[in-house]
Amino acid sequence: MMKKRILVATIAALAAVGAQAADMNKVLHVAFNVPETGFDPAKVSDTYSGSILENVFDPLVTYDYLARPAKVIPNTTVALPTVSADGKVYTFKLKPGIYFAPDAAFKGQKRELTAADYAYSIKRHLDPTINSPWSFLVDGRFVGADALVKAAGKGALNYDTPVEGIKVLDKYTLQLTLNEGNYNFLQILAMPAFGAVAREAIEAYASNTNAKPVGTGPYTLKEWKPGNKIILEANPNFRKLVINGQTLPKVGRVEVSIIEEEQPLWLAFVNKQLDISGIPQAALQEALVIDPKNPLNVKLQDKYAKQGIQLERKKDLEITYQFFNMQDPVVGGDAKEKIALRRAIAMAFPRSETIATIRRGQAVPVNYVIPEGVAGYNPAFKGAVKYDPAAANALLDRFGYKVGADGLRTLPDGKPLSIEMATGTSGIDKQWNEYWQKAFDSLKIKLTFKYGKWNELNKANRQNKLQMWGLAWGADYPDGENFMQLLYGKNAGDANSANFKNAEYDRLFEASLKLPDGAERNKLYDAMNKIVAAQQPWIFGDTRVRSQLAHRYVKNFKLHPLLNTTWRYIDLQK
Amino acid sequence: MLAYILRRLWQMVPTLFGVMLLLFILFNWVGGDPSYILAGKSFSAETLANIRHQLGLDKSLPEQFLIFVQQVLTLDFGTSWSTQQPVADILGSRIGPSLTLALPMLLVSLLLSVIIAAIVAYVRGSLTDRIVTLICTLAMSVSALVYIIAGQYWLAHKLGWFPILGWSDSLATNLWLYVPLPLLLGLVVSLAPDIRFYRSCFVEEMNHDYVRTARAKGLSEQVIMLKHVMRNALIPVVTSLMMSLPYLFLGALLLERFFGIPGMGNEVLNAVDRSDFPVIKAITIYVALATMLFNLLADIVYKLIDPRVQLK
Repeated sequence: MMKKRILVATIAALAAVGAQAADMNKVLHVAFNVPETGFDPAKVSDTYSGSILENVFDPLVTYDYLARPAKVIPNTTVALPTVSADGKVYTFKLKPGIYFAPDAAFKGQKRELTAADYAYSIKRHLDPTINSPWSFLVDGRFVGADALVKAAGKGALNYDTPVEGIKVLDKYTLQLTLNEGNYNFLQILAMPAFGAVAREAIEAYASNTNAKPVGTGPYTLKEWKPGNKIILEANPNFRKLVINGQTLPKVGRVEVSIIEEEQPLWLAFVNKQLDISGIPQAALQEALVIDPKNPLNVKLQDKYAKQGIQLERKKDLEITYQFFNMQDPVVGGDAKEKIALRRAIAMAFPRSETIATIRRGQAVPVNYVIPEGVAGYNPAFKGAVKYDPAAANALLDRFGYKVGADGLRTLPDGKPLSIEMATGTSGIDKQWNEYWQKAFDSLKIKLTFKYGKWNELNKANRQNKLQMWGLAWGADYPDGENFMQLLYGKNAGDANSANFKNAEYDRLFEASLKLPDGAERNKLYDAMNKIVAAQQPWIFGDTRVRSQLAHRYVKNFKLHPLLNTTWRYIDLQK
Repeated sequence: MLAYILRRLWQMVPTLFGVMLLLFILFNWVGGDPSYILAGKSFSAETLANIRHQLGLDKSLPEQFLIFVQQVLTLDFGTSWSTQQPVADILGSRIGPSLTLALPMLLVSLLLSVIIAAIVAYVRGSLTDRIVTLICTLAMSVSALVYIIAGQYWLAHKLGWFPILGWSDSLATNLWLYVPLPLLLGLVVSLAPDIRFYRSCFVEEMNHDYVRTARAKGLSEQVIMLKHVMRNALIPVVTSLMMSLPYLFLGALLLERFFGIPGMGNEVLNAVDRSDFPVIKAITIYVALATMLFNLLADIVYKLIDPRVQLK
């Protein structure tokens, strides 16, 4: 609360000086620790590319920078859309006078943003030739869109064919009609992937849309050296955006370096080659004083605090989990002995220890399918089993998993019991594997590892060839539905990696879709979580807590739960 | 000579074909399916099929291999599957930074290691020789990563003699500001094994009968070393040098990653990580071609150094 007041006061104080356009002499230096892939909103889905999209393109709606919990507000629209009584028809009124960044594609003309741009941008996610990684958010969503996609076959979508569900009423009015009411729709539209592109720019750069992003956002791409450097400059056509009296953006240039190794990332920040940075795992002790009794209680080391370095913390909107393939004959199925096997494995895994060692205390255990900060979360629900290897062994004994002559357990029918866990090959994967090996050893169950790159393991999983694998899911939008769908039967083999199929769960999930966030829906979520706890398709993991640092001269530094970047709000006063 | 060169060039064709075949088999066996990366975190079977179709992965393996052959013949490897940037543009932008670091490193390393090796070989058995040998042995037993991490920490961070990392569009700025530290650390890593290797080449030459004969004829030690020993010992030096040259194109992976140099090394790693076959194909083919050409060049240089060498 105090921090928020200080921030608002800072903004207000700056406002007193007078609104100003971006200062091109101010350069913000930041870094990504993973290379980006490109900047076409309909073609990329990684967080790092998304961070650039966020600054170059404008979705219809966005999030309030200061409001907590996250709150959707109008972005390029005059107000939030009007919604029909049945929750299916959304009508957006765009602000006139918003212009795309100058680009050769516009042949010297100033190009105004119109409702047709959003209609075109949304349709691109349905285009079979684009294969948008976000198509799962729009497939089957709009009235009449399925017919358009079907007509396209494997070819390009005919963007000029009228679609009932994506209708341009006039230059500034867009009407979207959904097949089913959806309470998350605005949050979906707030994602950077749904920013407006200009059709003529996309067509002009058709062979390389990833390198030529042209949007209406506060910044425009000045230079891109893939995997090394991204330079953004303030968009000269950016509309007058005043927040708390301050004209945004403040900084004229943002230079993003790609630094994949932890040491140079950390040292570059300490040596002021970067203005803002996360704290790499290896530098946590160097940067923070971590309370051993409560590792989430941290403060900056004195030497950094004295320099005026600012620390911001954020609990990710994510869960990690280890899933069992519920279709697998050994670990899957509804039979009591199968549930006992899964539960015993969960009980033998020392989650608190992995949080303390691998995460260095910077994570919290997951106990509910929905993480904290996401609508529908229930902090009182304890869905994870307690760590108790002795009880886990007793459970296996009780259900007939006898220890054989070789010291290893067999299946109840006497056949050998061996479980294969999929894993990556990085150093951190090895650390996790050591804990899993210890857990399985304590149960006297043979464990083998299937090593592979992420895409190969994903392929194997979709072909139903894995028994166990660990995954993470970050919120696409802050609503419980985005997480509860991970165990929905119709998503089996896709987002439902565990191939979990439970008729009651599915019934409750479908019922929950018809309800807004609130007590009634939460009841359904609790019931679904009880099913998950009873069936144990997952072993709950943890939710990471991230720390970000900024130097003293970085003003308005505040993390947002959903926005990847807050560059447009930042000012530098060196 | 010309006939020899033409014959060797002709022999490169089956070798290159073998490289292509091996690469193709390896990628299809363990390279990973990029369509699962491009499709995102939730996708339909239709989306996956569309991506595979667009990448040409739904074609039969012989058809895919034929496309590969065509790409090699035209040296047009299309666009990256990951970023959709033209492969030629990617490699074109990476080769400069890699060479800016690797070429000076190779030249300085070669010069220093040959000089030091010749000196210690000349005073072999002396305290100087023993100290240099000991230092080299100790230096070789430390991982390159340790030099890089320690060097960056102490020389850049603690002492502030160099920037932590960075790269500029200006060659002069790079050579003056950003190359020196990675160059220094690269030299520390490469000097010890090179000195040891070249020293043994010089010592071996110095034990030959012709050296004893030269001494018997009354030639000075300097003349023996510089005119006779050095020239004969250059054959393994040239071999080592020519073997190193193709790898200049691959860049210095660790140095590039730690010092933010947008070179080829990092690109290779990212391409492998993302199953970006067009980029992997292009880099492998160029390195294979360079290896074969530099091998041929080495043979020609042998002939120039030692006229007794017969090119057949």
